[in-house]
Amino acid sequence: MPKVVSVHSYRGGTGKSNFTANLSTTIAAQGFRVGVIDTDVPSPGIHNLFCLEQEEVDKTLNDYLWGEASIDEAAYDVSAKVGVELPGQIFLVPSSVKPDDIARILQVGYDVGKMNDGFRSLVRQLKLDFLFIDTHPGLSKETFLSIAISHVLLLILRPDKQDYQGTAVTIDVARQLKVRRMLLAINKAHSELNLDALQAKVSETYKESVAGIFPLSEDFARLASEGVFCVKYPAHPLTKEFQRVAKAIMEGD
Amino acid sequence: MADLGSFGSLASTINAVASPFRGYLNDLYNKHRVLKKGKVADYIPELALASPESFGICVVSTDGQAFEVGDCEQTFTIQSISKAFVFGLALEDHGRKYVNSKVGMEPTGEAFNSIILDEATNRPYNPMVNSGAIATTDLIKGRNGTERLKRILEMFERYTGRAHDINVPVFLSEKQTGHRNRAMAFLMLNFGMVGEKIDETLDLYFQQCSMLVNAKDLAMMSATLANGGVNPVTGVRAIDERYVQDVISLMLTCGMYDASGEWAYRVGIPAKSGVAGGITAVASGKLGIGIFSPPLDAKGNSTRGIKVCEELSRDFGLHMFNTATPKHDLTSWMNGDDHSLGW
Repeated sequence: MPKVVSVHSYRGGTGKSNFTANLSTTIAAQGFRVGVIDTDVPSPGIHNLFCLEQEEVDKTLNDYLWGEASIDEAAYDVSAKVGVELPGQIFLVPSSVKPDDIARILQVGYDVGKMNDGFRSLVRQLKLDFLFIDTHPGLSKETFLSIAISHVLLLILRPDKQDYQGTAVTIDVARQLKVRRMLLAINKAHSELNLDALQAKVSETYKESVAGIFPLSEDFARLASEGVFCVKYPAHPLTKEFQRVAKAIMEGD
Repeated sequence: MADLGSFGSLASTINAVASPFRGYLNDLYNKHRVLKKGKVADYIPELALASPESFGICVVSTDGQAFEVGDCEQTFTIQSISKAFVFGLALEDHGRKYVNSKVGMEPTGEAFNSIILDEATNRPYNPMVNSGAIATTDLIKGRNGTERLKRILEMFERYTGRAHDINVPVFLSEKQTGHRNRAMAFLMLNFGMVGEKIDETLDLYFQQCSMLVNAKDLAMMSATLANGGVNPVTGVRAIDERYVQDVISLMLTCGMYDASGEWAYRVGIPAKSGVAGGITAVASGKLGIGIFSPPLDAKGNSTRGIKVCEELSRDFGLHMFNTATPKHDLTSWMNGDDHSLGW
């Protein structure tokens, strides 16, 4: 059975796209067929991590939502770009970065039913084992759909009061949407924090398991989204932590 | 019905969109969208304008979840589907005994517009053929045509949860070309089966047939019947619970024109179709189905609509006499408790 994984956070800048790229790559490297959809239509960006350049992109998720392309026409095989080898494969459905396209989708909106049909159709056509959904931060109809459809919801938060409160709201919403399984990941923990204590406290507060905890990293910042971190730094402690979260995602039903 | 609040209602919508059941309906939609069989009704020019491509499937469960795929908001005229529901209103106005004395309950096996009456009683055979529907509409109470029409429109509003309009060009065309219906009305007047206000009643009949609905309305109407006469979303009672069985049983025996026998055997979900391409179908205690697709088969039923109902019935065991374990469990597919379904 294919597994749908939504990567979400209440606030922006938590690292959703980086987590999506690293986790999907880690899983694809183990021989799985993985799809990634950038549903962050107001501020797309994950294509940069997969080194998919604008001149290589024709159809996007926007075209699919407007009924102007099929979902597989908007999917790009980025395996070679991130160094994933067969039988593993990774496909990206980017959102358009053209201002006109963004304006159009924000103005007119789109049918969440069609988005859902697109998820299912992509999984079938590309015979995916995993589908990662990179989301726009905060709560919206589109986020609700991603949460409701996913088998695993990965919520990312920073050790920050704004994130704590927003995460509580998101968890409440996710429970009402009958989400199957929730995992938390703490990102950008500064060096003075006791990581074990933090992990225990977060897990206790939200009554959900913390799959990984990621210290604030100069190395990560230095990469500046030009590629996938775990490929560039295979022995790095953060890479090990991504592997731990990937394992948690792959395990369980 | 519980007040869900804004978030609860949005969550319910989202859960319906994300449910495996909607995924199933989407597959059905894609499978039958390409079907080219059938012909759009063209006995009046307004109907001939309908696009054969239009296609919407909506299912509403008796707990108020709505699953929509395709053109579910597009309006069209209700046509013969109105007959089943106006029959329910006539029963509320006069009771079973009196209504039964004016219109029978026997399938005809003849086309919907045939000019025949039961020779022994002079009654039209049933409320779903044109003659029987005119006799039924004649029974709707009100001081004048306007008040009677208002009562009919308000009844539909109780079923669907929204106000309805009449498509005036369709009404005028139906009225202008409805000589056969006028002939039937006068024949029934001759036998004393309808009152003297023939013109008012015929206008009312043409107006009820020209009322605009969409596929979601049709699903809501049948879900209301399936829910014992109470709209599962608004909680409003649309019809006296005693008469729900009258309406549904005549849909089963007479609802699909002269294909009703085969429909009862093959599909087994009481349904009523209309010449504009609508079908409403009632799975009692479970759900209502609304379909819109204009191309019709030779008997006047939507070709895509038939396919959709056949497959829904088969896959979810919706045939009213089914006792076998169905391929899919309806509750699990609708509620999405098991997320391995439908991928």
